[in-house]
Amino acid sequence: MTARSTLPPAAGMGWATQVTLFIAVLFLVCAWAIDLTPAALANLPRQMVTVLSFFYPADMEYGATRVWPALLESIQIAWMGTIVAAMLSLPLALLGARTLFPRIARLVKLISATARAFPEILLAIYFVPIVGLGAFAGALAIGISSVGMLTKLGSEVVESIDMGPVEAVQAAGGSRLLALRYAVVPQVMPEIVAHWLFRFELNIRASAVLGVVGAGGVGGVLLNTLRYRHFEKAAAVLLLTILVVLIIDMVSGGTRRRLLR
Amino acid sequence: MSEAIDAATTRPLRPARNWVLIIGALGMVSLMTWWSARGIGFSIIELACNLPGGRRLLVESWPPDWSFFPRLLGPLLETLQIAVIGTVIGGILAIPIAVLAARNLTPGFLVWFVDRNFMNILRTLPDLFWAMLFAAAVGFGPVAGALALTVFTIAVISKLWSESLEAIDMAVPEAVRAAGGSWLAMLQFGAIPQALPHYVSYTLYAFELNVRASMILGLVGAGGIGMVLETQRSTFEYPRVTLIVLSVLVLVLIIEQISESIRRRLI
Repeated sequence: MTARSTLPPAAGMGWATQVTLFIAVLFLVCAWAIDLTPAALANLPRQMVTVLSFFYPADMEYGATRVWPALLESIQIAWMGTIVAAMLSLPLALLGARTLFPRIARLVKLISATARAFPEILLAIYFVPIVGLGAFAGALAIGISSVGMLTKLGSEVVESIDMGPVEAVQAAGGSRLLALRYAVVPQVMPEIVAHWLFRFELNIRASAVLGVVGAGGVGGVLLNTLRYRHFEKAAAVLLLTILVVLIIDMVSGGTRRRLLR
Repeated sequence: MSEAIDAATTRPLRPARNWVLIIGALGMVSLMTWWSARGIGFSIIELACNLPGGRRLLVESWPPDWSFFPRLLGPLLETLQIAVIGTVIGGILAIPIAVLAARNLTPGFLVWFVDRNFMNILRTLPDLFWAMLFAAAVGFGPVAGALALTVFTIAVISKLWSESLEAIDMAVPEAVRAAGGSWLAMLQFGAIPQALPHYVSYTLYAFELNVRASMILGLVGAGGIGMVLETQRSTFEYPRVTLIVLSVLVLVLIIEQISESIRRRLI
């Protein structure tokens, strides 16, 4: 037996090459369609450096007077949206668990899938004319669009619990409601609260964007500073946003890890 | 005998509770909620008062203006093109960034530290912020959108994939090293093949997110269907807005189905 024959055969190279080729051709067609030429790409670094040089120094006075309040508003939008979504999704998550409510669960899953399909900004486009320009519309949009995801994740948590305590409560003569209260909720709450916190982290980013359609928060400020080419002011927006999001991610992430321990 | 019955009928002790922690947490949550609700003028009364006006808007925005549909086809196609370009370039650039950020593969602490923080900062800014920045840098249009999605893709894939890389079986990469393989050979033959299915899966996931994101990039002038949405929205042509939103949803659902079936075949 020669050494060569002991080598394992190369696995599925033909298939992988075909897929790679397909993606490469698709990419070239798309790049051609939107005029992304190699020359434009080569030009890009120089362009970026030029624009970035306008961002220095950041106008921190503007940051303190205009950006900071808008950022706080973004946090408030994200928080209220998360609270609304948490309140609405908790009963839905229980009802959506196949193991507890086999028949209702299907309907709940359908509703949550529909709610998930809408990006918050599209919802905000409808809420802004309904409740007027501002943060309230943003909080509603964030709340509604988070309900879908939180319901889905929550149901999955409920479906994965140990059914022993549930049976024990029912065997002792407890009603279904008592089983939920004493056997299900205590088991699922830490994980569900962790999902709420994670959603809050995502919602901070989502609410930062909503200002673009007039639903409050820091996005509108960034759009205006860039539109009028006040790059030093835009730099203040970016710096403060990065800082605040990093801090919130750290605090929320730490809390989540403690909850799940 | 009676003692045994007593022991069986007394209730088990309640687990001790950390009341300080519970009250503290509830207090924090209530305080945050009060502060937020006041700050943004959150009121159920206002919602109830505005509902009649809202119903008028909803009535007006239905049925969608179907005659507008032919003018959406071009922008919808452009949207998909932006998503493809962002995913391909971002997916390639994410590979080295994820490898250097994986604790078990990185060549040195300094590289790991810098790369990991770079990754975290990329992730703090939402997709539309990148779109606004690139629109300011290279001008309004689909190229700005494609670049924004490139950055967004790097942020998504590198974070998720670096975690899969950290979870691989290190025996194989170590064997490559022990046989005299270089660091690159270790990656190529030992590490990356193990995490390749995850990479493909995350890239598909990023593509789905990108299709979703590319629909709204145009709100800040970065190309695609969002630009049409922005003009119709600002002139309150809600029947057209509804048509755009519906077509976006249908397209997103189709892409998700395709991507889901590919993923199921892979894993």
